[in-house]
Amino acid sequence: MFEILSTVFKYIFIIIIYYFVYAIIRLIYLDISTTTHTGKKLSGKNPYLKLINRRETLNFRVDESYFLDEEKTLGRSNKNEICIKDPFLSGEHAAFLRNKDVWYVSDLGSKNGTYVNDEKIDATPYELTDGDTVHLGQLNFIFVDVREV
Amino acid sequence: MDSIYNVYKPFRMVMFFNVLAFTLMFLHEDKKDFITLAWGIGIILLIFGVYVLIKWRHWGDEYLFLISSMLVSIGLMMIYRLDPDIGKRQIVWFAGGASLFLLSYLIFNLMPMWNSKKLYYIYPAASFLLFTLTLAYGRRIGGAINWLSIAGINIQPLEVIKLLFIFFTASYYKHRESLKALSLKIKGNDFRIKSIYIYGVLSYIHMGFLVLQREWGGALLFFLIYFTLLYIFESNLKFMLANVFFAGAGSLGGILFLSHIQTRIDIWLNPWADISGKGYQITQSLFAIGSGGFFGTGIGLGSPELIPEVHTDFIFSAICEEMGIFGGTGVILLYLLLVYRGIKISLKINDIFYKALALGISIMIGFQTFIIIGGVVKMIPLTGITLPFISYGGSSLISSFIALGILQAISSGKSIQMEETHEGE
Repeated sequence: MFEILSTVFKYIFIIIIYYFVYAIIRLIYLDISTTTHTGKKLSGKNPYLKLINRRETLNFRVDESYFLDEEKTLGRSNKNEICIKDPFLSGEHAAFLRNKDVWYVSDLGSKNGTYVNDEKIDATPYELTDGDTVHLGQLNFIFVDVREV
Repeated sequence: MDSIYNVYKPFRMVMFFNVLAFTLMFLHEDKKDFITLAWGIGIILLIFGVYVLIKWRHWGDEYLFLISSMLVSIGLMMIYRLDPDIGKRQIVWFAGGASLFLLSYLIFNLMPMWNSKKLYYIYPAASFLLFTLTLAYGRRIGGAINWLSIAGINIQPLEVIKLLFIFFTASYYKHRESLKALSLKIKGNDFRIKSIYIYGVLSYIHMGFLVLQREWGGALLFFLIYFTLLYIFESNLKFMLANVFFAGAGSLGGILFLSHIQTRIDIWLNPWADISGKGYQITQSLFAIGSGGFFGTGIGLGSPELIPEVHTDFIFSAICEEMGIFGGTGVILLYLLLVYRGIKISLKINDIFYKALALGISIMIGFQTFIIIGGVVKMIPLTGITLPFISYGGSSLISSFIALGILQAISSGKSIQMEETHEGE
């Protein structure tokens, strides 16, 4: 009686251990993939700026991505909503503006300029579409807009 | 997210494992003793309580305790099967370990003075005091003087010293810039000894004491922790090479001149030469692993009790015999996950003290597992060291849980400034 039970149980024990390992790995994996973007879950509602520089090559703090859930300015000073201590950025470098569902970027008179798809832009708002590259200071961003319109 | 968490609750599997394990243990006994079931329920409630507390209060990483409780459950089942009396004692130790786990979490978070510079010399001083006490008053059990009897309770000072050593190492990397170099005047010449050499010498004194106690496994463990952290945090290549040469010369000297080490290496190379004497333990262990096959003989159906010291050092052989290679590999995978979590926690931290501490604790668990599992499967020479969380032994279990509590406290980030971003490495 005990022999049969123990023989059955040894398989169950092994299945439990491996299922446990699988479940833990799965949970860890889910944790990683949902928090990849600055700890926020991807809501799919807001566009964001994704950094394409390798972060290790920059010697200041910068996030992997910045969400555009409201109009934001970008620059070196703390007054900006997106503050990055890149020495090549001006204090107030660029602004991200919204008109209904369309996003624009405009330069705030920066020294080194703002480039969208390698074209220098000025103070007139420039419309951003999904996949545009935005270059400021040493930073290269991609504008990602995956909203369902 | 909630639906995903509900479907794959690894926590339920730990519970399920314990229910099955203790039912089996109950049936395994000749006279059916309902006390066994009561102990089982106690274990389940204990794991449940601690896990819910961690989840409910958001006390940092939840996987650390989950994985370690699975390991403890496997170990408890094996020990209980080998000897119910020892198993019951181990359950009590586990209860103590779990409460000390929570206590060390709280203490570590409430008192953020562990990284203070004053403690840098206190950690090694405390270790040396414990070493000296052990050598002077210690009892010799199984070849090594490593037991200290305090008020009737036997403790293994090494388990405490391991933690002190990791704290000492971490605090060195925190303060290495501000530590003063020692100036010496010998025959009118000024010698300045840089702080890193003092740190190195102090670390080697730890290992020297362990060699005096004939605790080879411990000495190897300390060296591996010391050198891994050195490799990670120190850019001074010359110093590192000097360490390699020093350690190489030391171990070569040991092999050539110390008969104890020679014996161990002889047994490792050919245990079959003296199968009834010195090679008995390791050959029995190999027989046990071999007779287990892929899925094992089944709990209670093998004969792991033939191996001497099976419930402490050789517990892995018993697991391999009765749960098979698949069971053994599962155990190794669990350790891998535990160490992975520890390294992940350490990567997220900016403060170098906590970073080194988290890393030190993770690699301590990892190397300890490697040294003993490698030893019992005859991959490396056997040295007596416990398998963390699984082996029988109060000191070992409790110190492992204290280390885990510190790791847990670091992962919660309450006393430490952590990077707010979660990177998706």
